[in-house]
Amino acid sequence: MEIPYIVTPRKDTGLFNSKIAIWLFLASEVMLFGGFFSAYIFLRLGADYPWPERTLPVLPGLINTFVLIFSSVTVVFAWASLKMRQWGKFQIYMAITVFCSLVFMVLKGIEYNVKFHHQAVRLKDYTVVEGHLGYKVKDGVKVEHGKQPTEDQLAKDAKGRKIEENLVNFEAAEFSFSTLRHHKPWVESIMARAADQKASITLAADLELKTSPEKTVSFKAGSPLTVELLDSVKEAHLAARENNGAVRTDNLREQWEKAHAANPGKRDWEIADQVAVDTAAIAGQLMPEQPSVIFKVEPPTVFSFKPRDVKEAAASADLRDGTNLKGKLVDSPMVFHYVDAIDFRHLVMEAERKGIDPKVAIENSWLLKESPELKKIWEKQQVALAQLTKELAAKGKEPTAKDKYRIGWQELAYYSVTKIEDVKITPGKYAMPKAKENFKEEFFGPDYKVREKVPHPDGKHFGAFPHLTVPREQVQFASKFAPAWNTYYAIYFTMTGLHGLHVVGGALVLAYYLFCGKRMYLSNPEWLANRVEVGGLFWHFVDLVWIFLFPILYLM
Amino acid sequence: MADSPEAIQKSLRLYKLIGAVLFAGTVITVMVATIPWLDFGEHGFDTADMVLGLLIASVKATLVAAIFMHLNHEKRMIYWLFGFGILAAFFLVALIALAKWDPIHYNGFGDGVPGSEKDARW
Repeated sequence: MEIPYIVTPRKDTGLFNSKIAIWLFLASEVMLFGGFFSAYIFLRLGADYPWPERTLPVLPGLINTFVLIFSSVTVVFAWASLKMRQWGKFQIYMAITVFCSLVFMVLKGIEYNVKFHHQAVRLKDYTVVEGHLGYKVKDGVKVEHGKQPTEDQLAKDAKGRKIEENLVNFEAAEFSFSTLRHHKPWVESIMARAADQKASITLAADLELKTSPEKTVSFKAGSPLTVELLDSVKEAHLAARENNGAVRTDNLREQWEKAHAANPGKRDWEIADQVAVDTAAIAGQLMPEQPSVIFKVEPPTVFSFKPRDVKEAAASADLRDGTNLKGKLVDSPMVFHYVDAIDFRHLVMEAERKGIDPKVAIENSWLLKESPELKKIWEKQQVALAQLTKELAAKGKEPTAKDKYRIGWQELAYYSVTKIEDVKITPGKYAMPKAKENFKEEFFGPDYKVREKVPHPDGKHFGAFPHLTVPREQVQFASKFAPAWNTYYAIYFTMTGLHGLHVVGGALVLAYYLFCGKRMYLSNPEWLANRVEVGGLFWHFVDLVWIFLFPILYLM
Repeated sequence: MADSPEAIQKSLRLYKLIGAVLFAGTVITVMVATIPWLDFGEHGFDTADMVLGLLIASVKATLVAAIFMHLNHEKRMIYWLFGFGILAAFFLVALIALAKWDPIHYNGFGDGVPGSEKDARW
């Protein structure tokens, strides 16, 4: 079937059909992104925490803006080349456009990757600490103080990945597995850990279950934990549920019949209160259900879990698959190998709500009490802040909350290697003092390997970024800089992710014209020109959305 | 729209010029946001910076729409279609005002709520 008006315009609209189609689509796209911008404003105005303004590194966003603008120019040149029947030039401009889309997505991927590997934690007193966690070393391996563990000394998970020092360690004396929901890989890793620690996990009490009204299976107390045992219990539990459900339904049907016989002519809703399952009558027909199975651990052994998989308390812990552990929570710190930012803004916000002087709240924060190194950094920050306050006061201005209460990585790197008497702001810059960053650092964040070798002013210590061990009981919430961390990152990933999908979709269409358009060009060049115009309109729209996303997410 | 090869050839210069303006606009936006002595209004990010940033972005977006997307000389039907989309998007953004007018459930905008002036700084 031939689609009409794809080369020549319709008389009534004056447009070829695909152009109307793309504009209709773009109108719906405006509404889609409009909805997200609305959500952004709503989240920002309603945030109950200090909104992390200007928190993303500007350079990746800036380069991506340049890339998209450049591709917008090249795509319009590609269309113009077709209109002028210059196939060679069209290929060049379109290839550049598609290449730009690749660059954009690679840069976006790098940016996302940096975020997904950057840790943040909000402490119980609302102090926020950012940085990178250390990695767990193998059991029994001792690493010399002040030295890094080698790759061979690091513990690895089942998939061969390094394990961050952010585990919840629980000394379990008893496991209660959910019959239906237990996650087999976790059961296997629990068994492996117990075997490794020479501990036994055995059934706590005799179990006698039925897989049918006639057939019984039994398990003796002391039977070792196996996946097969849990599978058998699951099978019996499901059979019991099926049988019991059928028995209850039959009994209920019988009760309804009796009720109708006793109340002729009455409707269901009029006699509903007289109908109930006769539990005494069916008791003999029911099979025992076993929603959970309890196992003893001897001797009690420490098992480690990722924080997202466990909800822990002092004497009990629940895994995400419904497994319950009884025993005691043991030392489970989050170990920051590098702290690259501390932020007291949320703490101050909460303190002000309670009418507490922010300075007093900060001085009494867990962080400053427990980390002498960070306390020194805070004191240096106060020196710089006093200078900035004075400089700004001369202009009738005052420092921002970010100046006062957040120490970012550049400031931290500066304070770590500067004596308190040498701390000074650069006159006329109206900014807190910062360590100089190179191009790579502007893009990826601090170069930890280089900066860990920077000497301190005392000549004894090295490293721009302090280490910090946070006890589990001080952790209020921890996450990578992922959508879970706060609503800012949630909307950032949603909007940029959706925009990224548009880039990919647009690039695929433009690449199709580039690689498969020759036949169309030879048969009807105007047709291809129209299609490229339509694809180009979509591409410009993608650029147009980014024009707003960049300042809103990176600069405001 | 420039449709003849001659007219298109002439408009190539305009496309280059618009590209350059878009680059310059981006650089200005970043400079205003990151260089302290170019900071408008209060020290740090504030309403003045927001207005300026969005103003530059709007100018850039208008140039892309008008020149690259040829909206400066399109058929009337396109204006109706796209205009409706923009209107609907504004409506979606304006919906948040409903939250502002709700006196019971929402106090995030900080008017008339005790202690909200402090909160507004964040």
